[in-house]
Amino acid sequence: MSVKIEVIVGGVPHNKIMIAGFVCTLVCLYLSYLNVATNSTLFSFFGGLAAVAALIWGSHTIKVLCSYGIGTGVPSAGMIAFGSGIIAMLFATKFNVYAPIVAVILGAVIGLILGYLSNAVLNMKIPAMVQALTEMAVVGALTLMGFAVLITGSFTFAGLTTGSVKILGFISVPSYQVSFIGGGLTAVAFLLGAIAIQHPFNACLGPGWKQDRMLILTAECGFLSMIVAAVMSFAMVNVVAAVISLIVALVCWGYTYHQYILLSKRDAAAWLDSKPIPEMEGP
Amino acid sequence: MSAVAAKPSAGGAMNPTAMVVGLVMLIILLAIAWKMAPGLGLMALIGIIIGGVLIGFGVHFVPVGGAPAAMGQAPGIATGVAMLAAGAGVAGLFGGAWAAEQGLVVAVVTGGIGGGLMMAITCMLVNFVYVFGMGIPAASGKVLKDPITGDSQPEYKSQGTEGHGLPFVSFVGGVIGGILGGAGGTLIYIELLDLYKVTLPTVLNASAANVLPVAVSAAGMFAIALFLVNAVLTAYNITGTIEGPHDPKFKRWPRAIVASAVASALCGLVAILIVVPI
Repeated sequence: MSVKIEVIVGGVPHNKIMIAGFVCTLVCLYLSYLNVATNSTLFSFFGGLAAVAALIWGSHTIKVLCSYGIGTGVPSAGMIAFGSGIIAMLFATKFNVYAPIVAVILGAVIGLILGYLSNAVLNMKIPAMVQALTEMAVVGALTLMGFAVLITGSFTFAGLTTGSVKILGFISVPSYQVSFIGGGLTAVAFLLGAIAIQHPFNACLGPGWKQDRMLILTAECGFLSMIVAAVMSFAMVNVVAAVISLIVALVCWGYTYHQYILLSKRDAAAWLDSKPIPEMEGP
Repeated sequence: MSAVAAKPSAGGAMNPTAMVVGLVMLIILLAIAWKMAPGLGLMALIGIIIGGVLIGFGVHFVPVGGAPAAMGQAPGIATGVAMLAAGAGVAGLFGGAWAAEQGLVVAVVTGGIGGGLMMAITCMLVNFVYVFGMGIPAASGKVLKDPITGDSQPEYKSQGTEGHGLPFVSFVGGVIGGILGGAGGTLIYIELLDLYKVTLPTVLNASAANVLPVAVSAAGMFAIALFLVNAVLTAYNITGTIEGPHDPKFKRWPRAIVASAVASALCGLVAILIVVPI
């Protein structure tokens, strides 16, 4: 038996958010492939937008999962999402142009097996568990891929492991240390994404939960992470491309922050009669 | 999770069918590794599975109190399983990684000591805060006598709570958990690092010294990722709070062993396939 603690009142259904998030993320990731077509890094900022779209989808998945009392806190869901996601993402980068698709498929497989393990072997018996963990692994993989594109302008294994260092100002030498994986930027991207995905539901949960407020907060957290990632991208991509990413991140963050404050003011004085916990039998 | 206390939904019962399915999955994953990456890859995967199981088993020892512990209403350290395990594991991993050059045994032992030290410091300072800051004695709610010191517990337990503070047995459990977790995390790191050091030069077509940063970062990242996956799965097994090795929930460890083994095999296999040409 599992206890569903919070009732979803109104709002956009989860499936709609999932499909919208999935399509937006993939489209944005492939738009960043214009980098290869135009032989520049100007379109790297699409990676950041892809990460934000995936984060919005993921935070709503966390809401679906954590509405059941899983007893381990909301952050654990974000941690398992990125722990399984980064493995899928790094493997998928081997497949060059197909990388986002492979990341989705591999993330889904890993998430499905982890969901089965927690529901059957660990006896959690939470109806949403398998689907939620599957989505979380995909979200983790796509978010990290988005940040990787934002920082390096590419989602291929070669692009993520190879950078270049200028010696004496003009001789460019390939270097493995100045790269997304070799420089350890993976770890920063990992936690930037994990904080952005686990914070919104943790901050907005309770009887006064409103879907639009939580999703705007997710976007705000996502763009905040994107600002940091854009600053890091100065080391890897063209200065112009990095400035474009930074401006996009700053403007979007300012807008979403303003919206979030407005929504918080809207909900602040409201009071919702939280009914006694409805007991529902699990399947 | 809402302010309404989460009721643990998972029971203590085992699910024999699922356990068998899990073991079959483990064998299939090992077979894939044997087929795709025989020799070094398979050895690395076995090391990763052992490391993952050590982490999964070790987390059961750590006294996790969660939000109730922060209010002094349950024994343990006042945070979630995932955070504590990640803290102990990453501390151990950093300790062990410094000793990576001195061979497997030294590195794994160093990692274990790093994790155990981190948990010992955490447990001691948590008790300082409980005793001198909140003014509550350490008392277990699950047992009548401390299994190690034999001290009687119920007299010190406040009414309406499940106990509070960190009794001695929980402290010892925390240190054991830290040692197992740190050693497991370091084992995963060393196995992956050894594999990447050998194979990455061919994959990237570069000299061994050049690809070392990539090998170290990738192995470290995968070790942390595997650690988090195993820690969260174990957290799901415990469902919230546990007092340490004397807690009745501790008896659920066989489930976590199977889950950790399969999860580590799955994630480890993907990590190994990165350097295998397909």
